[in-house]
Amino acid sequence: MKDIENRLKQEAKRLLESGEAEVVLAYGRGYDEKHPMPYAAKAVSDVDNIVFDEYCTFNMTRYLTEYPLGTKIAIAVKSCDSRTLIVLMQEEKVKREDIVILGIPYRDMIDSKTGKAIDNSTACNLPNPVLYDILLGDEVTERDDGSPYDVLKELEEMELDVRWEFWSKEFSKCIRCYACRKACPMCYCDPCFIDQSQPRWADKSPSLESNLMFHLTRFYHLAGRCIDCGECSRACPVDIPLHLFHKKVSKECEEMFDQVSGMSLDDKQVMVDFKMEDSDEILL
Amino acid sequence: MEFEPKILGIACNWCTYTGADLAGTTRVQYPHNVRVARVMCSSRVNPAFIFRAFQLGSDGVLIGGCEPGDCHYSTGNYYARRRLAITKKILEFAGLEPERFRVEWISASDGIKFAEVVKEFTEEIRALGPQTKFKVKKDIET
Repeated sequence: MKDIENRLKQEAKRLLESGEAEVVLAYGRGYDEKHPMPYAAKAVSDVDNIVFDEYCTFNMTRYLTEYPLGTKIAIAVKSCDSRTLIVLMQEEKVKREDIVILGIPYRDMIDSKTGKAIDNSTACNLPNPVLYDILLGDEVTERDDGSPYDVLKELEEMELDVRWEFWSKEFSKCIRCYACRKACPMCYCDPCFIDQSQPRWADKSPSLESNLMFHLTRFYHLAGRCIDCGECSRACPVDIPLHLFHKKVSKECEEMFDQVSGMSLDDKQVMVDFKMEDSDEILL
Repeated sequence: MEFEPKILGIACNWCTYTGADLAGTTRVQYPHNVRVARVMCSSRVNPAFIFRAFQLGSDGVLIGGCEPGDCHYSTGNYYARRRLAITKKILEFAGLEPERFRVEWISASDGIKFAEVVKEFTEEIRALGPQTKFKVKKDIET
C-alpha cells in the first residue's frame, strides 16, 4: 500500500518534471484518513499531497473529459478504471497518446460508507488494470471469486411483481441529486437528456415515475459501456443499488452480443455495432 | 366500463406504415386500439420514447420495422434490433410485464400480417389489464 503510494509520487514527480504530463490525476487527503479526495497535481510541489490507501475508491477517469482534448494527462487507475479508459478511447473522448496510464495493481478497496471491502458483488473487481503504461507494483494474482453476476441471482429469480415492488421502493427514494450521473465517467453528455426542456422527458421534481424515466434511460445509455466500477451506488446518498441494474444490463449485453465492455481497444461497442446473424429471438 | 387498451404503435415509413396503409385500402379489419406514429426508420426509435409512452399511460407499445435485410437504409433495423432487445430486458428487469412491449418486422406488402399482429397484441394487452406501474399517478398539467 505504502509502496504503491511512493511509486505513485515518484512517477508523478518524474512526469511533471519532464513535462510528459501537464497534470497528474490521483488521490489527495480529505477531511480524515477514511475519506480521501480526488486530486489533480499540476506542479512538482503538489506531488507531496498525493496519497493512496484502500479508501481511494474513486474512478478518476471521471475528470478526464473535463480537460480539453490534447491535454497531456497522467492518471492513476485501478482495474475497473482502466476499462473506463478503454471505453473513453473507443468513443474518442480521450486519445491514447495523450494519456500516461499509471496502473495500480490492487483490489479489495474499502467503501468508506459501509466499511466493507469492495468485491465483485458491487464492482467488477478484476485484479489488475487491463491497460497501463506503468504498473506501480507487482501484478496481483488471480483468485476465483465466481462471476460478478452471481449477485443478480436473487433478483432474477423473483416474481415480476415482487421485483417491481423492490425497484419501485428503491426508485421512490431517489431525490434526483444526480450524484450517480456526476460520479459516472461515462455520463459526460452536455446537456443530459433529463436537463432538456424541449422535449421535456420527465418532471424535474422527484416522483417514482419521473425517477424511473431518468434511471431506466440512463441504464439504457450505459448499455455496452458500463464497466461496472460501482461508483454510482457508492455516490448515491440514499443507497439505491444502481450497480445491480447496470450489472444486469451488462450481463444481457454479454449474453446477447458476446462482448465484454472495455476489455480491448480494438472492440467496437455493442450498441453502435450489429451482426446480421443477431437472432430475432433476443426480441422475445 | 370495459377496459379498452391504449397501444402506441411506432411504424417505419417504408415497411410497416405502408403495410398498415395496405391493410386500410384492402379493407382488412383490425382493432382501433393502436395509435400509429410514423418514423422514417425503426432505428429512429429512441428507447426513451418507449419509457415515456408507458409513463403517459400506454398499456402496450408495438414497434414495427422492415424485415432484416429489407431496410430502406440498408442497416437501420439491425441497429434497432439490438437497441430494442436491451430495452425489453430493462423493462422486464424493472418489473414491467415484457409482453407489453413488442417488436414486429412487417413488410410493405403484408397488410394482413399487420392486422393480425394488432389483433393478437390487443387481445394480449386486454388480458393483462391496464398498465399502472409506470403511469404517472397525478394529473399532468396541460
